[in-house]
Amino acid sequence: MGASFFFLGKGGVGKSTCSALTAVGLARRGLDVLLVSMDPAHNQCDIFGTALSDRPKRVTSGLRVVEVDQDRWIRRYLAGIEERIRESYRYLTSFNLEGYFRILKHSPGLEEHALLLAYRSILERHRNADALVFDMAPTALSLRFFALPSLSLVWTSHLAALRREILEKREIVTRVRFPGREVETDRIMIRLDESMGEYEELRKAFEDGSRTRITLVMNPDRLSLSESRRIAERLEETGIGIERLLVNRVTAGSKSAVERIRRELSGPELVTVPMSREPLIGIERLEAFLEREAFPLPRI
Amino acid sequence: MGLVGRLLEAIREVFAVSDRVARARAVEYIEAEIEELENVFSLLVLGSFVGLPSPPMHLSLELMPEMEQELIAMLERVDTAVTPFSHLFSTFDIG
Repeated sequence: MGASFFFLGKGGVGKSTCSALTAVGLARRGLDVLLVSMDPAHNQCDIFGTALSDRPKRVTSGLRVVEVDQDRWIRRYLAGIEERIRESYRYLTSFNLEGYFRILKHSPGLEEHALLLAYRSILERHRNADALVFDMAPTALSLRFFALPSLSLVWTSHLAALRREILEKREIVTRVRFPGREVETDRIMIRLDESMGEYEELRKAFEDGSRTRITLVMNPDRLSLSESRRIAERLEETGIGIERLLVNRVTAGSKSAVERIRRELSGPELVTVPMSREPLIGIERLEAFLEREAFPLPRI
Repeated sequence: MGLVGRLLEAIREVFAVSDRVARARAVEYIEAEIEELENVFSLLVLGSFVGLPSPPMHLSLELMPEMEQELIAMLERVDTAVTPFSHLFSTFDIG
């Protein structure tokens, strides 16, 4: 399985362009690359000048691009839960719950869960790709996406401990009241164990620097630096490291700003990308930029 | 059976009855404890359906298909929640 390259950063710093350049650059080296737009306001379609959807579309011989349809993932997820409820609940109870499900799609927290589901599905379906390049959502949503496995594990492990206590006590009562009767399997405990396994797997993947490789994109200005510092701190709290700082739109006058970034965000490798003379729209211009400039591609 | 035999039998019977009573009593307390723990568990998972803070929505939803009884019990409890202490006191035989 290839590594996942995530491009994070403040809005407007050039995450989409840098992730597109990276994807095109890696594909030009002969790799099989999938570029995934996780930003709800997709703009890879504008960069590549072609309509995209949640089905991968081939844009060059080695590169396919896909846009994650967050709403569709939420709808699909809720429909799956509704289906499971219908299978296991009596008719009247499930009927009474229909009203709740109509408003659940607007619940806070489902956005990042939808992204996580999409991410898991992409990893599974495209496990043969050499590299997966993710153009990430705005900062707040991206940070919630990365924190979700750890946060979910905190809740599930506490719920599992409580459930285990209930089951142990139930077993005592069954042994005394009905000696010889077999203790029933608890479906809630099974589901909790499954969830914990899934979140643990995702948490491990996010914390593994060889599988999750994060590039923090920024511009040589103070606002961008402040937000990048906050992103780095929040990711560090979740145990996730940043591999590279990519300073985009560097000009001859950016030297002191780049030095300041190097001082204040020491640790990850710092790479720079010069300001483009023309808007980088269309595959030809992206390729021309890659030929003209020494664009820093991640090591594979 | 002689007098001593009957006496021993009676003593055995007294011990057996008191053992059953003690076990039944202990089990009742454990059952009450289980009921409360189950309530806590239901409220933690499904609290948002009765207006309480809850875990991230996806966790509630993932467990919800397995929790029909808990959901019904919780909704009923909300309806009859006006006398929670009388329920508790009668369980523990207080007053």
